[in-house]
Amino acid sequence: MAQLSDIVNETVRAEIEEFLDRPEEIERNIELFSRASPAMQDIAAALIEGDNITVDRLTVQALADGVEAIEIMDDGLIAGMGIVGIKFREGFVFVPEVLVSARAMKAGMAHIEPILAASGVEPIGTVIMGTVQGDLHDIGKNLCIMMLRGGGFTAIDLGVNTSPDEFLEAVRENDAHLIGMSALLTTTMPNMARTVEHFKDAGLRDQVRFMVGGAPVTPEFGEEVGADGYGKDALACVELAKKLAAELRT
Amino acid sequence: MGEQFKRLSGEWMTPRRRFLSALYGGRVDKVPAMTLSSVITLEAMEIADAYFPEAHLDAEQMARLAATAHEDLGLDTVMPVFHSQLEADALDAATWWGTVDNWPATSAHVLHDPEDFSIPSDYLKRPSFEAVLGAIRLLRKRYPEVAIVGKVYGPWSVGFHLVGIENFLMGTITEPDAIRRYLEVLLPASMMSAHAQFEAGADAVMWADHANRELVSPQTYRDFLLEMHQQVTEEMGGPSILHCCGETTDRIDYFAEAGWDCFHFESQVDPHVAKEITGGRMSLMGNINNPTTLFSGTYDDCYQACMNVLEAGVDGVAPEGSVPLGTKMEVLQALADSARDYSNAHRPDGRLVVHDPPPSPSDENGEA
Ligand code: B12
Repeated sequence: MAQLSDIVNETVRAEIEEFLDRPEEIERNIELFSRASPAMQDIAAALIEGDNITVDRLTVQALADGVEAIEIMDDGLIAGMGIVGIKFREGFVFVPEVLVSARAMKAGMAHIEPILAASGVEPIGTVIMGTVQGDLHDIGKNLCIMMLRGGGFTAIDLGVNTSPDEFLEAVRENDAHLIGMSALLTTTMPNMARTVEHFKDAGLRDQVRFMVGGAPVTPEFGEEVGADGYGKDALACVELAKKLAAELRT
Repeated sequence: MGEQFKRLSGEWMTPRRRFLSALYGGRVDKVPAMTLSSVITLEAMEIADAYFPEAHLDAEQMARLAATAHEDLGLDTVMPVFHSQLEADALDAATWWGTVDNWPATSAHVLHDPEDFSIPSDYLKRPSFEAVLGAIRLLRKRYPEVAIVGKVYGPWSVGFHLVGIENFLMGTITEPDAIRRYLEVLLPASMMSAHAQFEAGADAVMWADHANRELVSPQTYRDFLLEMHQQVTEEMGGPSILHCCGETTDRIDYFAEAGWDCFHFESQVDPHVAKEITGGRMSLMGNINNPTTLFSGTYDDCYQACMNVLEAGVDGVAPEGSVPLGTKMEVLQALADSARDYSNAHRPDGRLVVHDPPPSPSDENGEA
């Protein structure tokens, strides 16, 4: 079994030691990072620190050194973002820190994405994300999108105030099967149900899976509106998306 | 003559006196039940025959709608600013005024550099201000004895609207000096709003700057807002109430340090803990949960929730934030009823409320 001391990057080691609490998460991260090359650990560390310039430079460097794009994404960028997500969930960092890390992630992905697209590497799945009609809160939804991208999904952002029809159109256009709806207002939560209904009316309900979230939304409410799952935070959103994507494949 | 000066007992204070006394942590005949942010509902719109979104820009409709808080819910305050766009709209942010069953919001951000910002010369004459200031004047005339609460968005929250919340929040790390500069240039716009609302007749102004735990760390409040809020509370020109959404337990101490007269807090904060932290340095009003208790709950749920905060010894009971528009008036009725019943049961001399002493540590052991 891998040990913390197998991780060469000091920042990554310190992050795991200081901020991770759940045994399964500690184990998973030690496993992941001890396997990752020192260069990938450096990328992860820079991403955790929100240093977009360094992430950009190290990504370019790694590609020039012949590292596979997918390895940089998985062992550098996604691995780093995983730690940021946990720190946010546990209240060690706040929205600004996550936004800054997401910006660093974007800097790296700008080099990775074209390569992956050209080589035909499939993302785990495509998720259509939007804040429901009448609602203009988007910070939480945006964080989910960042973590989904960080988790290997393609996420299409429909922005705020998204009508049931816009969700439907986006599903058709992108041949997507996963939908994430966010609502922060009790007054707009019923629009989640309306969206699900709209898919039923269009005869598309069975082909898609709905995820719901946002501060006032509960698992019970999700069930009530006929969604397929509820996520409490951005990490839970990624887990749920993975579960539903697997369901769709079978 | 003698009739007029009968012995003071029961509910003898006017709502206005009661509110102001409570705001400063003083003694009251009845703990006030209030609206500090909006309590407007679809039902209230029917009663007042005044509807969103028109009521946001029409002083008469706004005043009628605000008055339902006192007339129909029996609250000690009225509050005419139902949305969060007052200053931002007058500062040229693009506003979507919403619909009958939805609140307004900023639809596009306009500011990219603090040095580009200036306050329009007709700022206080813009439609959003004409409506609010007009409504406050009407309410003052119609309800001389009811407390009127104004509402201001501070430079942090106006910054969200003008600059975009993500740019603004990220800036606290990537370009803190620019964010400080934004706060500095935006502050006068919020101050002018507060002064104008006091001048129009508001008894107190609630100042909202959303630096809550869902968004930023307590250190961010300390580093970006504490000093500025100290200036605000000194120069606001009247009784001040801070509103900050969400879980704020870890920064209440800073709020007290900033000199706010009162903190309007949300349901995530335990009132006992809040009282312990503030130790009387500012009063506490709140914190009835919106989605679960008021929107989805019953009259009894609301009554019980109110009793719990009243028993914690808060200075006033109110919804935690703007209540969902679909909330039933019948449920909101429990705010005033609980405050009345609690006060009737805690008025040993028949004249003033005396809260039960907090349980001694030995009692607590027994309970646990
Ligand atoms: C920031 C904020 C605003 C900003 C929004 C800026 C923006 N671009 O988003 C501004 C100032 C514009 C605003 C406006 C209003 N707001 Co507001 N706002 C908030 C605040 C303070 C924080 C919300 C937030 O961003 N949280 C941080 C993020 C990270 O958390 P989150 O959104 O919950 O997301 C996480 C999870 O829920 C989950 N998640 C989210 N979406 C999804 C989706 C899926 C699929 C999954 C799986 C998971 C998931 O993952 C996220 C990350 O962990 C809350 C207070 C609070 N306690 O939440 C009020 C709050 C949401 N607002 C409220 C209100 C009333 C309003 C206004 C109506 C105010 C007014 N009177 O005008 C307007 C409405 C405008 C409109 N039409 O939408 C109320 C809602 C009450 C209710 N439940 O109905 C709240 C709760 C405050 C209160 N107590 O009164 N607001």
